[in-house]
Amino acid sequence: MQKLFTSSLKPLLAVAYALSLGWFSQAQAADDLHWHGFVAQGMMQAKNSNFLNNTGEVSAELTEFGLNSVWQVDSSWRLAGQVMYLDGGNRFQQGWRIDYLFLNWTALNTLDWQLDLYLGRYKNMHWLYSSTRDVAITRPLIVLPQSVYFDAFRDIAVGSDGIALQSTHTNSLGEFEINWSIGATPVPTEQSQRVISTMITGKTEQDFVHQFSVFLRPDGSKQQWGVSFLDSDFNYRRADTDIFYDGDFTVQRVMLNWRYSEENWELSSELVQERVSVYGFYAPGMQRMQFAQGAYLLARYNLTPQTTLYLSHDHYFANKDDRRGATLPLQSGGLIAPFFGYQRDSALAMSHDFRADLRLKLEYHWITGTARLGPNVVPDVVVNTSRHHSLWAFQLMYWF
Amino acid sequence: MLVLTILCCHDVLAVGSAATPLVAVHPAVPVDKLSQAQLRSIFLKRQVIWPDGVAIRVFILPVKSATHRQFSQSHLQMFPYQLDRAWQKLTFSGIGTPPAEVGSATEMLKLLQSTPGAIGYLPADNETTDAKIIHIKP
Repeated sequence: MQKLFTSSLKPLLAVAYALSLGWFSQAQAADDLHWHGFVAQGMMQAKNSNFLNNTGEVSAELTEFGLNSVWQVDSSWRLAGQVMYLDGGNRFQQGWRIDYLFLNWTALNTLDWQLDLYLGRYKNMHWLYSSTRDVAITRPLIVLPQSVYFDAFRDIAVGSDGIALQSTHTNSLGEFEINWSIGATPVPTEQSQRVISTMITGKTEQDFVHQFSVFLRPDGSKQQWGVSFLDSDFNYRRADTDIFYDGDFTVQRVMLNWRYSEENWELSSELVQERVSVYGFYAPGMQRMQFAQGAYLLARYNLTPQTTLYLSHDHYFANKDDRRGATLPLQSGGLIAPFFGYQRDSALAMSHDFRADLRLKLEYHWITGTARLGPNVVPDVVVNTSRHHSLWAFQLMYWF
Repeated sequence: MLVLTILCCHDVLAVGSAATPLVAVHPAVPVDKLSQAQLRSIFLKRQVIWPDGVAIRVFILPVKSATHRQFSQSHLQMFPYQLDRAWQKLTFSGIGTPPAEVGSATEMLKLLQSTPGAIGYLPADNETTDAKIIHIKP
């Protein structure tokens, strides 16, 4: 599965892009070309952690700029892409990236059934905020609940190169949305250092990521329910001077999500259980497997038509069988403190729209534990010496 | 348990009122009635073509207007901020384009009469003798 898929991916993408470019040049007369974009700049301080930087100083590394385009070729074919610039300190790899670039074919479009196929770099549509986490104005918080939306994994999770299907269906039970995708994401060395360890010098590859999700909005209900599954393999190949060894990683997720909406307030929640298994990497032939668990509850209240308040609580355990991290010092010879085994984050935020295209967001997080500070395979025990840490941020965003 | 009880008791959106806006389409649209779920699919831009193959063109009144709020809640069973979120997701995920906003009911009526495949809504007290009104089944 893994090598078969990886080897077939590049020709697939090349065909998609070539087709796209061909169409683009042929249909200059088409008038259904739309451009949108956003720019967001803010300030942030994350004290007593390496979340933003290693010094805990106030920083302007909270820059997001995106430009996207959708070209409706005809009623069945669409080409869409988004280029993105990010500067988030330790949170993200600084610079430009293509968040998505896909060819969309609407295979079926009747009043009760819709089926769309996406080919290229598709977006992750499987979680509540996965398809909009990369856009400042569509995120409820500047820093999303890290149990599910781990920043160090952002570029790997936001989309993949491959094929995705999305179908929506309406019947007497309600509205169903079904998503399936299979693909892989390139993992640059800097990205893998944020996830695995700053000390690695080898190469990381994602062999594949296979996802499936179903959302249901019961007929006439204010609630929405969803379930999603993820299966992904990575491999690490050491460099000559590496202190680590070749390794294979498997990540599998099961997630449940729920949303309840009233006119002036809304609750949303996601629960995740993640199985991570490692073969090798620390030592040849070594095997290690653990289940992580996390959940968050996010409330929004529309104070006025322009002002919205958010309250969130997020809880994460790196190992469900060791929720207090008691075994970490034993396994690491005392190097890793127990608080690397969990993380609790309570956040309060406010957003205010000055105009229909200009928004200011403010937020504060109280955090206990360091399990969701990158890198998380070999954690940073030099900077992250405190069990309690906090962060504040504000961000001004404009979109068109 | 108390929270669950409250959620269950309030889980169904109120439908219809004396001021429920009228859903109208271009005269050539080959549809006379729609279910609320089908109408929601159209306004969420999932359903993009009519049964005769003509592209659907969705028009809305200003999102802060009372008519838009009444239409959203009574016909789509959604609150305006949920619609905004869905349209922003369309816009910034590349999976579609949001509806076109028009400034007034008069402009809406003109567009519904002149744009093939058009669908929109009008205030209940609007003069609608020249528009094709669609019946929405609860």
